[in-house]
Amino acid sequence: MSGKLNRREFLKALGVGGAASATLAGCDLPSTVTLEEGKEVVESYFMPEEYVIPGVGVWYASTCTQCSSGCGIHGRVREGRVLKLEGNPDSPVSGGRICQMGQAGVQAHYSPDRVTAPALRDGATLTAATWDKIDATLADKLAATDPARIAWVTGTVSGHQRVLIENFLQAHGGGQHFVHEVVNDSVWAAVCNDMLGDAAPRLRIDKADVVLSLGADFMGASTAPVFNARQYADLRRGKRGALIQVEGKMSMTGGSADLWVPIRPGTEGALALGLANYLLRKGDVDGALVSAELRKRIDEFTVERAAEITGVSGDRIQRIGKVLRDRRPSLVLAGASVQGQEHGYQATAAVMALNILLGNVGKTIEPGATTSLHELQAKAGGTGDLARFADAVKNKKFDVVFFYGTNPLFTAPQALALKESLAQVPLKVALTMFQDETTEAADMVLPLLSPLEDWGTHMAQHGGEQPVLGVQQPLMEKLYADTRGFGDIVLNLLRRKKPDVYGKFPDYYAYLSNALVAMKDVTGSAQTTPKAIWEEALQNGQVKIKAGAGKFVVKTFDVQVPGRKTDGDFPLTLMPTARMGLFDGRHANLPWLQESPDQIAKVVWDSWAEIHPTTAAKYGIKHGDVVRIESSNGAIVTTAYLLRGMHPDAIAVPLGQGHTGYGRYAANRGVNPLQILDPRADGKTGELAMFATQVKISKTGENHSIVRLGGSDVQMGRGFVRTVSAETLRRTEGA
Amino acid sequence: MSLQNILENWSKYRRGAEEGGHHKYEHRWGMAINLDLCIGCNACSTACYAENNLAVVGKERFAKGQAMHWLRVERYWDESINTTSSVAPEYPEEGASFLPMMCQQCNSATCEPVCPVAATYHTPDGLNAQVYNRCIGSRYCSNNCPFRNRYFNFYSYYESAWPEPMNQQLNPDLSVRDKGVMEKCTFCVQRIRAAKDKAKMEDRKVQDGEFTTACAQACPTSAIVFGDRLDPESKVAKLWAQQEVKLGVYKQHKQNPEKRGYRIFEELNIDPSVMYMERVRDSSI
Repeated sequence: MSGKLNRREFLKALGVGGAASATLAGCDLPSTVTLEEGKEVVESYFMPEEYVIPGVGVWYASTCTQCSSGCGIHGRVREGRVLKLEGNPDSPVSGGRICQMGQAGVQAHYSPDRVTAPALRDGATLTAATWDKIDATLADKLAATDPARIAWVTGTVSGHQRVLIENFLQAHGGGQHFVHEVVNDSVWAAVCNDMLGDAAPRLRIDKADVVLSLGADFMGASTAPVFNARQYADLRRGKRGALIQVEGKMSMTGGSADLWVPIRPGTEGALALGLANYLLRKGDVDGALVSAELRKRIDEFTVERAAEITGVSGDRIQRIGKVLRDRRPSLVLAGASVQGQEHGYQATAAVMALNILLGNVGKTIEPGATTSLHELQAKAGGTGDLARFADAVKNKKFDVVFFYGTNPLFTAPQALALKESLAQVPLKVALTMFQDETTEAADMVLPLLSPLEDWGTHMAQHGGEQPVLGVQQPLMEKLYADTRGFGDIVLNLLRRKKPDVYGKFPDYYAYLSNALVAMKDVTGSAQTTPKAIWEEALQNGQVKIKAGAGKFVVKTFDVQVPGRKTDGDFPLTLMPTARMGLFDGRHANLPWLQESPDQIAKVVWDSWAEIHPTTAAKYGIKHGDVVRIESSNGAIVTTAYLLRGMHPDAIAVPLGQGHTGYGRYAANRGVNPLQILDPRADGKTGELAMFATQVKISKTGENHSIVRLGGSDVQMGRGFVRTVSAETLRRTEGA
Repeated sequence: MSLQNILENWSKYRRGAEEGGHHKYEHRWGMAINLDLCIGCNACSTACYAENNLAVVGKERFAKGQAMHWLRVERYWDESINTTSSVAPEYPEEGASFLPMMCQQCNSATCEPVCPVAATYHTPDGLNAQVYNRCIGSRYCSNNCPFRNRYFNFYSYYESAWPEPMNQQLNPDLSVRDKGVMEKCTFCVQRIRAAKDKAKMEDRKVQDGEFTTACAQACPTSAIVFGDRLDPESKVAKLWAQQEVKLGVYKQHKQNPEKRGYRIFEELNIDPSVMYMERVRDSSI
């Protein structure tokens, strides 16, 4: 190491620059070590300990990366192989539970379609290259590139991976970081920020007496499915709170509703205002809680007007209004179909206004905890960054683009012309485990370790009162010699740029162990030696972060939601719905999840289009008919599935399929509805209006049988699932 | 064996564990599944694939009903939504009905007596076991299962379901089944065995909660509770008692008939070891 290292710079490198009192105690940590003290050898970190007995499984704590929610997990390791993942009971996010996507983490790890060696583009094809060649080429290119013309495109990142990316950009002196997630809360977060002064308030589903979910599939395709499902279980236990789900297409969460109400997609904001109007008119809520302009706006949205716009009958709106009046506290949620509109911000603000009127703010919507570790917090993605990135690429703003944890060439609507404009970028670097669509178009492929082989830290966006930094550790030795950890790759690039700061860390392991020790004052570890601090973190799979209570500053303003719109040429609204399982398409390469039936339609291994039987009858469409769904930006052809859990003006096509690459299980299967979306965006946040594309539908003349679980949709009176009223339950098991 | 002898033995056989049963039981593994908490998310069924080396069969074989999901989550619509009915409501206003369906480990199982080679039999713990290397694939058991919870290996799935290195994920605690063999949910018997062995080595009883099945462990809402029905302190025994549901009967006689515990197809006198608790809907909304 040359020169004296500035302490502040050192802490910043480790992501604790904001935590002023952080200790600098990491220097006595062995750099490349086994966990055994004193032995400094260059060897795999995953050393079988003496106490590992053949035939006996051992559990190690880690953090799940199958989605961005950051669940703490335990991995079962036997004879050096990871076999099974479970939830870590101590994790405030997972609470010992795990979803099906998490379960399938082992399948991603053991996938036969992993990218196992680095590759460089040679004309039309990617050809294998050595890491030496890759490192040298990349260093040359980066040195010759104007730093402002470097971009990172990632999925939601947090913890030290985020720190490294930001530090990379800072070290190079420019560049941009785009964060893209199809399943996101971006508009909700913007509304929370503007109306509550806190972009990430804690939602207490468990404390509500009734949850009114406007299209929020909070237990399925959400940013915290397991955490929310655990809260939902608490809602149902005890006093048994109710769930009212209002949406255009029945989601997995909607399947558990006490009352499921179809609504014309994109009109949920009008319903929220209509409900507010009903409550204000009846004097059930205090109008002074919202601004005068907003109150005036609410006055315009009479129940009759809301009914006309939404297609939800006035009686039904009043019934829901009465429930909200009588059962407090409540919680009103806005899902992807509310946020994904050109007026998504406005509609979501209308929902938040309803929460404010109902007095839910402070009761079921609590201020999020504040920590000093801003650098480690999740940089949550959305679709706005996808649109902004596509725009920048079109305007030839970048020469080097890194892709990590996202697949924009699959998720970007064709109308953004991302594929065409990306082709003009001289160097596209994919850090990836799989040959997905974006990797296929890349010029340089850096094969990553699987999350079960790699180090990392993750900060959950949603969790309990106590924020934690989840620690991800390798559960087994790497399967492929030529794969590298994400942290190691970025650290390597940083070391070249700033050897004085990063030369200290031979690898990401050393970096992380130093970082966790440097965070000691923030984590409040009772351990005194660096080794003990680090080992405690590994054993627990997480470190607690000291947090302060946040505070709301409530501010309301006028919201403008449109009236009813009709489009004669394109009469149906397309709902591209993500679902628990294949999610946004990232899990289409995992056979367990392909063979796992959709929770509502029960279809496997395929795509389909859900339409209401009355709509189908209008077009003479029968169950299984192959239909062409056309927007002004393209068309897809798939099989019609008649489903009563639909609004007649909507057509829903699940996300996940339609991959052209991405391995043997995903490729050439079904269709991708994202492709035909109109390139519209929310006026305020720039997030793509993903539920605002109008389509028309026509028969192709073919009919396919749909492969699905179960023969009968009803129980034929056999009483498999019996139903009891909540009233009876309160009598027999009442708390 | 005289007729009297048979009848005596039979009625003894029919007696549940509560009334002494027909032999001394060490454990009686059972489940309680709260359908009001089940959200139909499939975490349980995927956990089962991971734990029990279940083969993925692909779309074509799935279409033929050859999927190997030991635990499947059924989704039903309310009767009134029957699409063939002329008075069907337009929308499923009470949501869907989800049903996690695995082998019910019947204590008078209809699958057991029909096996020509006694490959399926009842263990002393009350499990309905399948001896793979005894099975000749007659499929009589599957034919006789009222729940359709038995799955036949029509192919040697190991040839296609676990391409290298996916085979490294296979759980070494249980076998990979070959063509011609019937298989089914075992209540994760490998975990039961491990827990029993451990308890025996430590000279103690198996504790409630020291292990559970893969499905129960994964369940995000803790809808599935697994345990020993004979341990009165176990969660599962308490739930059965709270719901006034007993083993060994074909009809429950509850003090409070409003209680929501029930067993599917109990009236067939098959004595399932899985108690479901009714789905709840708030009709006042």
